[in-house]
Amino acid sequence: MKKLLYLFGFLIISLSPFLGDTSLNYKEIFEPSSSTYTIFWDLRVPRIVLGFFVGSILSLSGLIFQTIFKNALITPYTLGIASGTTLFTAISIVFFPSLILAISGVAGSFFTIIILYLISQKINRSSIVISTNSILLIGIALSFFYSSGLMLIFFMSDLQENYSIVRFTLGSLDVVGFSSSLIVLFVAMILYFTVTFYKDKIKLLLISNDTALLKGLNVNRLNLTLLIVISLAVGISISFVGPIGFVGLVIPHIIKIIYKQSAHKLIFPVFFYGGVFLVFSDLIARNLNTASSLPIGVVTSFIGAPFFVYLLIRRSSKGK
Amino acid sequence: MLEINNFSNEILQDISFKLDIDENLIVLGQNGAGKSTLAKVLCNLLSNPNVKLFDKNISSFDENTRTHLINYIPPKLEIFDEYITVFEYLEICAIGEIKKENIEEIITLLKLEHVKNRYCATLSSGEQQLLLLSSALIHNAKITIFDELTANLDISRIKEVFDIFKSCKLEQKIIITHNLDLAYNLKYKILFLEEGRVKFFGSSEDFFTSKNLSEFYNDSIKFVDNHLVINL
Repeated sequence: MKKLLYLFGFLIISLSPFLGDTSLNYKEIFEPSSSTYTIFWDLRVPRIVLGFFVGSILSLSGLIFQTIFKNALITPYTLGIASGTTLFTAISIVFFPSLILAISGVAGSFFTIIILYLISQKINRSSIVISTNSILLIGIALSFFYSSGLMLIFFMSDLQENYSIVRFTLGSLDVVGFSSSLIVLFVAMILYFTVTFYKDKIKLLLISNDTALLKGLNVNRLNLTLLIVISLAVGISISFVGPIGFVGLVIPHIIKIIYKQSAHKLIFPVFFYGGVFLVFSDLIARNLNTASSLPIGVVTSFIGAPFFVYLLIRRSSKGK
Repeated sequence: MLEINNFSNEILQDISFKLDIDENLIVLGQNGAGKSTLAKVLCNLLSNPNVKLFDKNISSFDENTRTHLINYIPPKLEIFDEYITVFEYLEICAIGEIKKENIEEIITLLKLEHVKNRYCATLSSGEQQLLLLSSALIHNAKITIFDELTANLDISRIKEVFDIFKSCKLEQKIIITHNLDLAYNLKYKILFLEEGRVKFFGSSEDFFTSKNLSEFYNDSIKFVDNHLVINL
């Protein structure tokens, strides 16, 4: 069953570049002068690499965030990283049009983490574990703050800028060439190796913070390290593709339901299928017979939102 | 060896006592007297400068040393990941390397073989408490604090736990309990808390007198054949 699923995943990834609204002349794939070559190697393959690693970053980040906050409904966006990145990107679209969007995006996510960290330090001096709940509440408050900021930017922008911001928030995997795909691939690798490096310590977090402390783990330091790495990875991904929703929430839960194993054994499957899910969503977005490809954020949320509701119902029917 | 000096917070007031290296302790008191809070203070889950372990301030130890010295077993198994099995849990609870045989041994000792591969979250509350006791044996700190470990156990299991406490499996124990008969028969030192203050600290013989029992428990408890029973 699990091997079959991996095979299915690989199949989706390897077939994906061949399917799209322009049909390819397969003989010309390796002929650099042909238009097929350009579409295949400069548009579709980089797009799939980008989609795969953004998906895997979001999904693995979701799993770790849920572990840090001991809450199954957390996503990498809950702390305001997505809205922070979106706001900063919107600001640079309107006020600093010459700036590369990725830089303002990363600045947005970094700014958010620093604020979160400074405030949470102020709140919990006495307790040995920084209460994850207070970080969560600050994150949610920040998200609202950023959303109002975004409204303000919308209000101040002209029609053209307005359109660019909307397109960014819809999410898109449109890329030309490999440069952004390779950056995201690199970030995804850093995230994956950081998580596997701390695997034994993450195991303790899967039980409870108190237990982890009693077993000699410096919970605050581990949480902080993971939060920073994840937030930067997520911030960088968002700055390239926009805030694509629900991957970070849905995939870890699907994998848990399929594998029925504890999270420290699911690092690779969550990483892999997160990527497959986004490539698959993108495949649907590109191949529905619409005038242009649907925004990827729409497709993931259409699949993700109903599943989210299903999860809530399932949880409550189990009496948890 | 464990020592606490003049500790106060919202719940506890001016707590001081000292346990020698070979002394075990029973902590008694009504609901809300501050027993669990005291336990969390002693193991530094509530960080403080007032507790000394083996003549050194508890907050001066690095995490790794402290975890070898003291461990706290909460009244309920708290576990976030619903897919951790009993065996995996015990593996995680070991500090440092542990052989699979040693875990198997402890599972056999507590007769948990039939649930070995079950998810911890699906165990009954009694089984979860036995699992907590197993985790304490695997962790094997110099001092282990048990917070109402026997609350959900059936009678024969309480007897088994009593035998383990009596054996030399764990070096030094601090046991919070409402089971007075267990407390009486373990013959450990007694600490009685009332509204956050130490009302009694001394030997078992000194505590279990009819006078003290009527003072601390309002005649709701009596001696029958060298056992303590509730006076219904």
